[in-house]
Formats: sequence, C-alpha cells, structure tokens
Amino acid sequence: MRDAIVIGAGGGGPVVAKELAARGLSVLLLEAGARHADPRGEWTHFENDANNPLTGFLRFGPADRTKPAWFRELPQNSFLFQVSGVGGTTQHYFGNCPRAYPGVFAGYDGPDAGAYDTAHRFPLRYADLVPYYEWVEATLPVQTAAMGRKERTFFDGCEAIGLPVQTTKTTLGDSFRPQQNAILQPGGSAGLTRDVTRLAFPQATGCTLCGYCLQGCMEPIRAPRNLFAKRSTDNSYVPMALTADAWSPGGVPVTLISDAFATRILTQTVGGQLVATGVTWRTGATGALHTETAQVVVMAGGTTESPRLWLNSGLPNPNDWVGRGYTDHYFDLMVGLFDKTTDSSRGAASAARAEFPGRGGMENIGLGPALQAFAMQLSDSGARGFYTNGRGFTGAWDGPSGRPIGPELKDALQNGIDRLLNILVITDDDVEAQNRVALSALPADEHGPVPKVIFRPRNRTARTLANREFLVGKAAAILRGAGATKVFRLDWAPLILHVQSTMRMGMSADDSVLDDTAEARWVKRLFIADNSALANALGGPNPTLTSQALATRTAETIFRRYFGGEPWVGRETPVVSTDDRVTQAVIARGL
Amino acid sequence: MATPDLSRRAFLARIGVLGAGTLLLPGCLGPAATDTELAELGLGSLVDLLRPVLGQLARDTLNGFIAFSLPGPDDYSRAQGTPRAEPGGIAAGGTDFLIDNLDRFLPFPDEIARPAAAALVTALRDLPLPLAGSLLGGILVPAVVTIGLVENAVLFIVQNDATAPLSLPVALLLNYVATVVNPASLNGAFISPFARLSFADKARAMAQIETAQSGLVALIDSRVPQPLQSSVSGLLQFVGGALYEFAAFGALGESQRFDPATRSLTGRPVGWQLTGFLPDGQTGDGWDNLLGYYQDRREVTDA
Repeated sequence: MRDAIVIGAGGGGPVVAKELAARGLSVLLLEAGARHADPRGEWTHFENDANNPLTGFLRFGPADRTKPAWFRELPQNSFLFQVSGVGGTTQHYFGNCPRAYPGVFAGYDGPDAGAYDTAHRFPLRYADLVPYYEWVEATLPVQTAAMGRKERTFFDGCEAIGLPVQTTKTTLGDSFRPQQNAILQPGGSAGLTRDVTRLAFPQATGCTLCGYCLQGCMEPIRAPRNLFAKRSTDNSYVPMALTADAWSPGGVPVTLISDAFATRILTQTVGGQLVATGVTWRTGATGALHTETAQVVVMAGGTTESPRLWLNSGLPNPNDWVGRGYTDHYFDLMVGLFDKTTDSSRGAASAARAEFPGRGGMENIGLGPALQAFAMQLSDSGARGFYTNGRGFTGAWDGPSGRPIGPELKDALQNGIDRLLNILVITDDDVEAQNRVALSALPADEHGPVPKVIFRPRNRTARTLANREFLVGKAAAILRGAGATKVFRLDWAPLILHVQSTMRMGMSADDSVLDDTAEARWVKRLFIADNSALANALGGPNPTLTSQALATRTAETIFRRYFGGEPWVGRETPVVSTDDRVTQAVIARGL
Repeated sequence: MATPDLSRRAFLARIGVLGAGTLLLPGCLGPAATDTELAELGLGSLVDLLRPVLGQLARDTLNGFIAFSLPGPDDYSRAQGTPRAEPGGIAAGGTDFLIDNLDRFLPFPDEIARPAAAALVTALRDLPLPLAGSLLGGILVPAVVTIGLVENAVLFIVQNDATAPLSLPVALLLNYVATVVNPASLNGAFISPFARLSFADKARAMAQIETAQSGLVALIDSRVPQPLQSSVSGLLQFVGGALYEFAAFGALGESQRFDPATRSLTGRPVGWQLTGFLPDGQTGDGWDNLLGYYQDRREVTDA
C-alpha cells in the first residue's frame, strides 16, 4: 500500500507528489502519456513534429506515437488542446504565472467586488492563498520576464493608450507589465547570440530566447534537466519529486510510472462513509491492468479527464455538478500586421500582458508559421468576405470578425511572421452549468467511455460576452497604438486551453464537487489537484500558478489530516528547483 | 424529375465516381469495357477496382480544398480563379498531409464516419438533378444494373471496408455540398465536383458544413444509429472548422521537408519561405533578441 497515489503528472500532480515525498511519504505518480526522459533525443523544434494534435510528441495520446491519438467528442466547432506525457500541458505552456485577481476569492470587499463571478467565488480568501503563491513562486522559480522586440511593441501600444504599469505581484487595477514567468531568465551568452556554439550550458544559462516554448523546453543545450529554462513540471517539480531524498531530510523519492492510464478509482464504505482506497490503471504498451491501494488518492489528470475518470468509476454525483462549470477564458485572438519588425516568432512566447480586473486580461503570444496559420483559421465568424456564420462583428478592427481565407490569409502571412503581433484575449468567464464534460455516446476506448466536451459559446452569460467585447476593443487599441497597419479579429471558436473548474471547490455544496480543502464532498481520502479544482476562471489570469499554489495547500492538508503532520508553508524556507542538490542528483541518476 | 436511371448516374457523377470510373477503369478493363463486361466483374472485383479510384477521388477533392486554403500556381488554384505566383498549399504537400493524418491517425469513430459516408452516397443518388444526358459525357453508357453494381461497390467500401480511409467520407462530404451550391460542378476538368468550384462557391460549400445546414444534418441522421443522431450537427460544425485549421497548419508546417529518420529537414519548407520564418535557415537554439528589462525592473513584490 502506498501512502498516496497521484493520477497525472501535469501541472498539478507533481506538486502534490513532490511536497508529500519531501515529507517522507511513499508516493506513486501515474502518467498516461510518455516519459520524455531525453528531450534532445526525442524532440525537435518543428511545429508539426511537436504540436500536430494527432501525431506530435506533445499530442494527447499514447506514449507510442505510431498509435492514434485519444478521441474526444467535441459537439461544436472548437479545439481541445490537451497534452499527455510527463509535464502535461506545462510542456507546451508559456510559463506565465500571474496570480488570480483578489476579487474572485471569498471576503473580497474592494470597490469592484460586484464585477466578478460573484456566485462562484473561491471558498477561501486571497490572503489565505498568498503564502502558497509565494512558496510556488520561490520553488519554480517565477521571475520578471525579459523584453524582446515583440514585448517592446506591446508595451508601446499600452503606453499609447495610457495604461499604467503594474509593479506588484498582486493586480490592483487596469495595468500592463512584463509577465511574471516560470522561466529562468537569460544568463551568460543566452539572449545575445544566434551562434549555436555559444548556446550550450554553462556558457549560456536560462532562456536563450529560441522562440519554441510551445514545442517543449530543452534549452540551453546540455543543461541538466532541472536547469532547462522553462519551469514546466518535467523540468522542475518532477526532478524534485524523483530526488526528494537528496534535498529534503527524510525525503523519499517518488515512484513515477508513465504510459499508465488510470481507468478506475477504487472505493469502499467505512463507517457509512465512502472512502477512496486505490487506483486501477492500464499500461499502454501491453494492455495490462494494474491495481494498487493507497491511504489517499489524488486526481490530477486534468479538467477534462478528472470528471471522466470520476464518472467512469461510478462515483457519486448527487448534485450533478461533476464535469459542470467548465471555464475556458472564452479566448479571442487579435492579429496586428505591421510594416516594421516585431520579432513575433522569437523569444519567450509570451512575456508581456495587460490586466483589466473584472473583465479579464490579455497577453502577447508568439507563434511559428504553422500555428500562426492555425490560429488565424479558428473562428466562429465564418470566412471574411464570404459568410459570417451569423456573426461577423465590426468594431475597432478592420472589416468583420472572422478567418481570412485563401488569398487574404496568404497576404497576411506573407507580410511576415516577424512583422505581426498577436494578442490573446483572456476573458473572465462565468461558471455555467451548461459548459461541461459528459460521457460520450460514441464508442468507448480502451479506458472506458470517452469525454464529450460541451460548450455553448453563443449562449454564455451577458457578463462573459460583455467582458470579451470590452477586451477585444482594448486589444485593438493597443495594436493600433503600437503601429499596426491592419488588425484582424478572429472571433475564435472555443480554444479549450486554459481549462478550469469542472470539479470545482465551492462555497456551496449545491454547485461544487470539492470542499474548501479540495477533498471530494462525497468520497473521503480523495482529493483533486488539477485545474478542475479551481472554483472559477480566476478573473482571467492564466491558471497554472494558482493551481500549483492550491495543490501545495492540498498536499499540506493531506499531510495534516491523514498523516498527523505539521504544516510547512510559512514556517520553512522552500528549496528552489534549481538547487544544486537537485542538480547533482539529476545528473547522478541520469534523469 | 430525373428518371431513376439518370438520377442514379447523377449520384455517381456527384461524388466523382462516374468520372473517375470513366477515367481510371479503362486502365484495368480496357478502354471499351462494355456493360456486360462490367456486370460480369461482380461486386468483389469492382470493390477491388474502385478502392484506388476512390483514393484518387479523395486526393482530387482535397487538392481542391488545399488550394482553397492556400492558393498557389497550381491547376486547382487556377480553376478556382485565384492563381498566385508563389508556391501554395499544394506545393507545400498539404494534400499528402491531410490524407496521411485523416487516414492513419485521426481517431474518428467508424460508428459515425461509415453511416455518414453511406448516407451521402445513397442520398446523392436520390436527389433530382437538372441533368442533361450530355453532362455524363456519353463516355460510359451504363445499363442500370451496371450503375447499380458500381453504387453497391462504393457502399460496400464505405460501410464494410476495415481499412476504409477517413479521407473518403470527408471528400464525399465536400463533393456533396459542392453539388448543392452549384450543380454545374458535376462536369469539368477534375474528378471532384468540389475541385471544380470557383473560390466563392467553395466558401459557400464550406458554409453549408460549418453552419450544419439542416438538410445536410437530416441526410446524415438518416443513417446514423439513433443514440448518435444528436451528435451529427455538432460534429459537422467541428469538421468544418477543423478542415480550415488543419489544412492551414499542414500547408504552413514542415511535414513535407521533414525526415523522421534523422529528425531534420531536407529543405526549406514552403511555409517558412512564405512567412520569412528563420531567414538564415537555422532551426536555432537561441536568438540575439534581448533588449533588457522594461524600466530596468527585474523583480516585483507586494511589500
């Protein structure tokens, strides 16, 4: 029997695993996808090789790339951007680590208190989470992002519209700022040269501004895994979890099993209470089923997979909120064309952002040509100049919203990948029961019935829709202020990438699955530590940091409640994931 | 109203099989295959003959779509009225990209794809068409039994073939909506009616799919098992969007120039040429793009 089994080695699972391992618990960490232990031997920087959702090494599918990806039913025009493998979606994330807006938490009484999703606040105060933010920010670590030309262009636009600069971790009002990124900032020759002979560790340290955040970070060349620039969990928390004995007195290394898809949570009734007792998983390579028992089970497979696993395990759902309340920041994309260089495809993929508490936020994003083209074809507004799909909004951008097709798309791309600027509009969207994960009526796969991810983008709350329209106007103004000669509004169909709140913790037992400690209301010893546990859309900030702070708090709860331990956050000094003890153990163990 | 014989021939023309059969079957049967010879082949042989024909049909259709996505100096771009001097999606290998991904990797359930394809095939047959006999070219003069045999062979493939490629139902879908928006697309230079459309008509055809036009939904619903019928409309919207996105991703990506054995490029991808990506040709482990820190601030705190 293990002390804890953690399902999913993505953004949240390794946080719980590392924290509990540091306390001396025996932890089994399961990952459905590949291990990716040798990025230089397995990965490239190429977009199709990396990001093709069917065949890429960062797809959502089996470790064996010759096998098809896993099917999900999407009953609307949309794209579900899941990633399997150790690191999960942090493998392709941009490392952006803004804190949630204080207005989404219990007890907030600022003058804009009514501007948020007030019906679905977090059941804890912002101040309660700050120590956990600080712990994660120190562990990853989170740093102020350097500026390249695309950031300079974004800042020019923000200055032009008169936005103030934010110089605090906590967002207090409308503002812009460099990102707080989980990226080791450039050191040595990094960021100063294109010469590959000068870009190897230790001559170069931290981010080399290569522009390939979306393809997984393996920079600088020959750096130990825990010193790769981007702090995706495969480069930060997982190395710490696997070397816990080396840097934490009494620590026990986590056992990591990849290619292991959890198919069932085991339970039994003890004293009239349903209790989680273990996990069954399937090995992809052999099809063999395995079962282990544990004192505590932590679900962290992701916002789509956790409700699926819950429902496939036959666990209770008395208020019918399992899978409901899916928030996705109802993204939109604004693309500005310039007659000057922006270096959009270079540098950290996103190192600048603007905040509009009560509305949401926005950030610049840099893409390679294939993903740029993909991003400019995702639309709910049809084809510009041909059909609007019932939309085709006009505003501060040029022409109707919608995808440019054929000659217009080609003209836009031929203007130059490094002479454009993308602004990702990140809407503060409301928790709505209609947006959800259910089980599909289509045939099950080898892991059971597949998830059906349902969004009703045209039927969202008035606040959500108004927030999005407000933000696209601001984004257009920033692009114009920066000198864009043409501005496209894509009116994206749901790009389900920032995913939150399908197994939400909540103030009320009527519309939440988890209590205020992230333990399941109806199954004891069962916790959730991925983005699905989040109570709401955070007001718009990117979710990973908050999910990791909450996972740290959840680990502490588990240790106190079921193992008689003492809390450590606020009492101890966190060990940074770049600590030399971690590095030496990573090298010695070939991790 | 067309006669049953004519409408049956029309349906084969609509999905491109009659044209394809006319063009391609002579290679197997000889140019003067008679109705009797065709009939004597039997279903099994016709299925074997039609598999590559349908593969050609899918390729021709997707060529038409890739040119729509990113036009270039190719015949399909010229036919749609938007030729371009610089290379486009076809030169970038976009068609191979779509076919390879659809046929080998897309985990789309057969339970939807097969009945949807069968519904498209049979319903196309039943639609009355304002066709003159000359539209069929007068090249193949089929007896009803022969046309029926071809139809049955197509149905057999889409419904029963364990290796039926997904590019085929996608092609059938595109060709169906092509003939809805412009019946004149039944005749022309290519095998595929979709490939014969003008650029504007291709957009109108895509609107039929992306907006899940009710007639199209009802058509496919007629064959899909009842528990799945509510899924058709949403899946059509998904397919419509995904076609745009995936075609552009493939046309601008590196797949045509990528050697999986060495995990390196064999040449500069078309998408990189068009967009000026990595102008020095290096894939790169870093850029000299560091401008410093905004207002020289390297750290923020709430203190």
